[in-house]
Amino acid sequence: MGTQLGEPVSVDAIGLPGGSVARRGSRSWRLPFRGDVLSRVGLFILLVFVLVSVFGRWLPLGDAEAVNAGPRLAAPSGHWWAGTDSLGRSVLPRLVQGVGTTFVLAGIAVLVTAVISVVIGMVAAYYRGVVGEVIVRGADVLFAFPSLLLAILLVAITGPGMTGALVSIVLICSPLMVRVVRAASLSVVGRDFVVAARVGGASPVRVLAVHVLPNVAGAAVVQATYALSVGMLIESGLSFLGLGLQPPKASLGSLVHEGAVYLPIAPWLVLIPGGLLALAIMAVNLVGDGLRDALDVRGVEVRR
Amino acid sequence: MLSGAGWRYFGGRVVAGVATLWMVSVLVFAALHLVPGSYAEIVLGPFSSPQARAALTSEFGLDRPLVLQYAEWLRHLIVGDLGSSLGTGEPVTSQLVRRWPVTAELAMLSLLVTVVVGLPLAVLAGLARGRLGRGLSRLLGSSAMSTPDFVIGSLLVYVFSRFSLGLSGGEYVSLTADPLGNMRSMVLPALTLSMFGVALLVRTGRDAVVNVFSSPHVMAALARGESMAHVIRHHVLRNAAVPVLTVLGTYVGYLMGGAVIVENLFSLPGLGQSVLSAINGRDYAVVQGMVLVAAAAFIAINLLADFAYGLVDPRIPAGHRG
Repeated sequence: MGTQLGEPVSVDAIGLPGGSVARRGSRSWRLPFRGDVLSRVGLFILLVFVLVSVFGRWLPLGDAEAVNAGPRLAAPSGHWWAGTDSLGRSVLPRLVQGVGTTFVLAGIAVLVTAVISVVIGMVAAYYRGVVGEVIVRGADVLFAFPSLLLAILLVAITGPGMTGALVSIVLICSPLMVRVVRAASLSVVGRDFVVAARVGGASPVRVLAVHVLPNVAGAAVVQATYALSVGMLIESGLSFLGLGLQPPKASLGSLVHEGAVYLPIAPWLVLIPGGLLALAIMAVNLVGDGLRDALDVRGVEVRR
Repeated sequence: MLSGAGWRYFGGRVVAGVATLWMVSVLVFAALHLVPGSYAEIVLGPFSSPQARAALTSEFGLDRPLVLQYAEWLRHLIVGDLGSSLGTGEPVTSQLVRRWPVTAELAMLSLLVTVVVGLPLAVLAGLARGRLGRGLSRLLGSSAMSTPDFVIGSLLVYVFSRFSLGLSGGEYVSLTADPLGNMRSMVLPALTLSMFGVALLVRTGRDAVVNVFSSPHVMAALARGESMAHVIRHHVLRNAAVPVLTVLGTYVGYLMGGAVIVENLFSLPGLGQSVLSAINGRDYAVVQGMVLVAAAAFIAINLLADFAYGLVDPRIPAGHRG
């Protein structure tokens, strides 16, 4: 192994793909996911979605909430690119708002999940006694809830809205991530360089942050990518049931929900947001697959 | 038939399942007490007099310590009393009994479609050697995994109604009244729910089949001249069974949430619909009861899956794996 005593494995050694991290020696920019066309396409689509969700509000597309901006239930045309809905609102700006909601909400939830789970998972691996056992059992209990039912129980407490969706995504995605991070940490904490650091007097915080974290980062990143797709599924599912973001604000799920009644006469109201949602989630999953293969991470799973 | 280690394995699984169930009950009980506003306020409305609220609170023992309240609640649970709806006063159990056949039928049909369609596809995908075949199966699997069930369902409804293919959503007919009509109303919902299951099965089953195929005993069997069908039946399927069982356990968990969405989409009068209307009506007792029952069912099904592992792969109870 190239790992020296006490020296953390750098991100380069794990082989994180992407132009931002230069591989040893070569400093030239290279396309990520070599030889994996599908993942490259996924990454490109994902980038477009992220750009739209961050900057979409400044696009000159019209007001997403202006009622009677046009005729009701107009089919997509040169003037109304994505048609209009039952209240005469232009659908295109609503789609952009919906993409933003879905990505930002799921993204924030997954960031929170990742931070919490990485800390808890490493702690569970480091303190294998009572603390570790309690954490593992707690994760098991959350795991015993089918995910959407857990979300429904939480929404029953918080009431329909964004808070419920956020808390649901965090609680549904954390158990799996804690498990993955703990498993990855367990294979590191017993290694010589960690033992040497402990013997050398490094504090637990230092050992975990400097010696363990870089070695579990790959698994955590891959799992977080999958968690993003699960988070988007949960958010859109709750919105579809009318339990997520409340109108007049739009999310891709709530757009499908609003359009479902008009499916026979105005199918674009359902098929466009539904298609975008599927495309976005698929792009995230493809990037997750690409990262998993590139980082050679085992043990991550998708759960929905 | 079972060794000591085997009994310890099965016993351990049962104990773990019961312990998890108990902790789930604590969590569900705690969840109800986190609800903003007191029980009396919810039942009597925001403009009720303080005296009436105090009377109700003491009548139901809500002024007693939480631990005692939990013990009382648990005592009722054990004899099968899940409380009554705050809205209609109907016991939660009678609502369960009335509604569960629809959801159970939906789940069974979806599971059936998943296994019947997914298993052969998984084996085929595992046998596909070409680059194109692998790419295609990955693309198909990935798109089915990524498309939310309500999008798949809407698409099916649209396609079937647009081209008048004879099946439609929205008119539920009960199984006892008209078996044929019931099947017609159940096909699209079951197809919608099984899409994710098929994708999951193909994804996991494919890897398992590829792994088994590259192991020496399969090579040896093929070299001996055993037919492909024989090898698949006797060597591949049995060895691929454990990951497939795990995936089916995961799928059942998904089904419980997916049923809520699909019942909503197709207006099926099952448990999912009553949970949803309970949330919208702030009927906490019903939500609590249904979520608890669903979690219990999920734990029980996973316990069965654990038992099935033991039967399929004797190494697991003997402690050599997992």
